Amino acid sequence: MPTVAVLTLLAITAVFIGVIVTRPEITVARGGKILAFLGMFILPVFVGMLGFENHYERSKQTSFCLSCHIMNDYGKSLYVDNPSYIPAAHFQNNRVPRDEACYTCHTDYTLYTGGIKAKLRGLHHIYAQYLGKPEHPIKLYTPFNNRECLHCHLGSRRFEEGVVHTADPQTMADIKSNKLSCTSSGCHDTVHNVSQLDHVKYWKPQP
Amino acid sequence: MTETAATPKKRNEFISRRLRLSGILIIVGLIVEGLSLIWNHPLSFVAFLGLGGLLLAAGIILYLWTLASAPS
Repeated sequence: MPTVAVLTLLAITAVFIGVIVTRPEITVARGGKILAFLGMFILPVFVGMLGFENHYERSKQTSFCLSCHIMNDYGKSLYVDNPSYIPAAHFQNNRVPRDEACYTCHTDYTLYTGGIKAKLRGLHHIYAQYLGKPEHPIKLYTPFNNRECLHCHLGSRRFEEGVVHTADPQTMADIKSNKLSCTSSGCHDTVHNVSQLDHVKYWKPQP
Repeated sequence: MTETAATPKKRNEFISRRLRLSGILIIVGLIVEGLSLIWNHPLSFVAFLGLGGLLLAAGIILYLWTLASAPS
C-alpha cells in the first residue's frame, strides 16, 4: 500500500481516538463502545500492520541500503564500466531492477529470511553503524548461495547450454546443488571488488 | 441512595481516565509511526518498531485491560 494511503488511514485512526479521548462518556452507549473498540484496537493494529509492510517493502530499495555510509563503495561498484564486474553488469543491463538491486541478489539478508538470528544481525548492523565500529571491509556472514543466481538463470539457454557449465555432467549438478560456487570458484569471481574502485572506469547513465 | 449513585460515577471516571491514557499512548505511537513512514532511513524502522510499536502496544493493552478490569 502506498505511504500516502497508510498515512491517511493513520490520520483517520488518530481522529477516531481523539474523539474518544476528548469525550470518553460516549463509550457508555453501545454505539460508543463499538466505536471505541474499532478506534482503540482494530484500526491501530491494522495501521501498524500496514506500516510494517510499508517499511518492509521500502527496505528492499537500493537507496535504503546505500543510506548507510559503509555501503557507499558497494553502490559505487554498480557503476563500474567493466562487464566482468558481476553486480555492475547486472545493474547496468537491467538484469536486476535498479531500484531493488541489492535485495534481488541478497534476498537472504537480515530482515527477509533467517529467523531471529538474522534479525539480531540486522540490529547489530545498526549498532555498529551508529554506536560501534563497523568491520572494514564488510563480509557476508555465509558464502554467497548459488540459489540467488539460479533464481533467474535456472532454465535460461545461456546457463543450461553454456560450454563451461556443460563441460562435464558433474559441473552442472554441482552448480545446482551449490557445491560449486558461481562467485568463488574462479568463474564469476569479480563481484563488488571495492578495494579496486580507485583504479577503474565508471559508466555514466544517460540522463 | 447516595452510595448507589456514586458507584457508577466512580466506575465511569475510572474508565474515562484509563481510556484517555490509552488513547493518548496510541495517538503518540501513531504519530511516531507516521513520522517514521515519512523518513526513509534504516533508523526509521527502529523508531517505527521500537518506539511507535511499543507505544501502540502499550495503549492497546491498557485499553483491553481497562475493559477487562473495569469495576462492575
